[in-house]
Amino acid sequence: MTEKKKKFSPVIAADECKGCGRCVKACPKRVLLMDHRLNAMGYPNAIYGGDGCVGCGSCFYSCPEPGAITIIEETED
Amino acid sequence: MEYDNRLLLKGNEATVYGALLAGCDCFFGYPITPASEIAHSAALLFPRLNRVFMQAESEIAAINMVFGASAAGRRAMTASSGLGISLKQEGMSYLATCELPAVVVDIMRGGPGLGNIGPEQGDYNQVVKGGGHGNYKCIVLAPNSSQEMCDLTSKAFDLADLYRIPVYVLTDGVIGQMLEPVTLPEPIAKKTFPEWSFDGTNASRRNFLTSIYLDHDDLEAVNIRLQEKYARIAGCEQQAELYQTEDAEIVIVGYGIVSRIARSAVMELRAQGVKAGLLRPVTLFPFPVDSLRKVAKTAKSLLCVEMSNGQMVDDVRLATEFSLPIHLYTRMGGNVPSVREITQKCLDILAQAGKGSQVRI
Repeated sequence: MTEKKKKFSPVIAADECKGCGRCVKACPKRVLLMDHRLNAMGYPNAIYGGDGCVGCGSCFYSCPEPGAITIIEETED
Repeated sequence: MEYDNRLLLKGNEATVYGALLAGCDCFFGYPITPASEIAHSAALLFPRLNRVFMQAESEIAAINMVFGASAAGRRAMTASSGLGISLKQEGMSYLATCELPAVVVDIMRGGPGLGNIGPEQGDYNQVVKGGGHGNYKCIVLAPNSSQEMCDLTSKAFDLADLYRIPVYVLTDGVIGQMLEPVTLPEPIAKKTFPEWSFDGTNASRRNFLTSIYLDHDDLEAVNIRLQEKYARIAGCEQQAELYQTEDAEIVIVGYGIVSRIARSAVMELRAQGVKAGLLRPVTLFPFPVDSLRKVAKTAKSLLCVEMSNGQMVDDVRLATEFSLPIHLYTRMGGNVPSVREITQKCLDILAQAGKGSQVRI
């Protein structure tokens, strides 16, 4: 039986973000950071560093904006 | 809709379940952090049960839609945070004058102004003292868990119908956004439309509503009737939760998330041999004056802990008639007091009292 390797990544809807930074603080792997640019609403939004997400969901649960953070799970055979 | 009796819900989501199980017909909302989840889950759940969800163009529109639905005898609600509640105050005054039942949820955030999206309790005065123009008050319930967000929202609808009064469910961003297990209550049977409701037919013409009384004596009579109603509510509906107050020397007073933290502080102090207790108002109007007076007879001092500039402490002072020293500990701007801060403050107060000082803060 081959073990499936799971890969997670957070998808952040930049314009929903108010830049409170709670996800950045909540991330145990420290793979989220605040962007230096501003989103369409004028807030600095959180971005994903690109690698290292373990899919724990801490950012999702700490985010006060419904729909701003989605965690996607990709499965490879 | 199928649901398990026990769910893991955010406080904001629990309030929607509570409303639906209480037979709420309409939700009119406008999103605002940290109350957005209420509108989100209402948008999801209300249409599934053939109830009305509508996103209004502004908070002012939302409260006036509530006014219309309520005048037609429907159970209606809206939800917002402090900024939105400020906008809704005109509508609240109209609802109170026309004696219409409605439920408004206020999930408080940091202020004043745009403030931030952290939790605060700075809306106490604008919600508990009326807030809009004129001589009116609303019943205010202050839940401190997801379970109570569900239960007290259900209760709010019953109180609103019983007294024909708008009812606030007031809590802070922490309770609104905290995930906790909730046991859902049994749904109540759908109520028939009350006889005072207006349904657009000729028969209900006599139920036209107005809040304008050009004759001074007429308006005074309306005001007197409202004040009598508020006195009746103050006599019947006071509710407070007491925790280890029987032998307590120092009693902490706090509502919302503060009461949860203060409870831990009381346990911590008791472990250190300090006789501490907690009084948590569940209703903010009517303020639990009777419980406070009872506690004030046995306690040596009170500590009011608030996430505001000290708004509830005024009511505590009035209720106890300055019969004992009342201290205040506040955090503002979205900060939440820690167990250690509250514990230390209590120890400081007791140490100061031991020196014979009568300093009142």
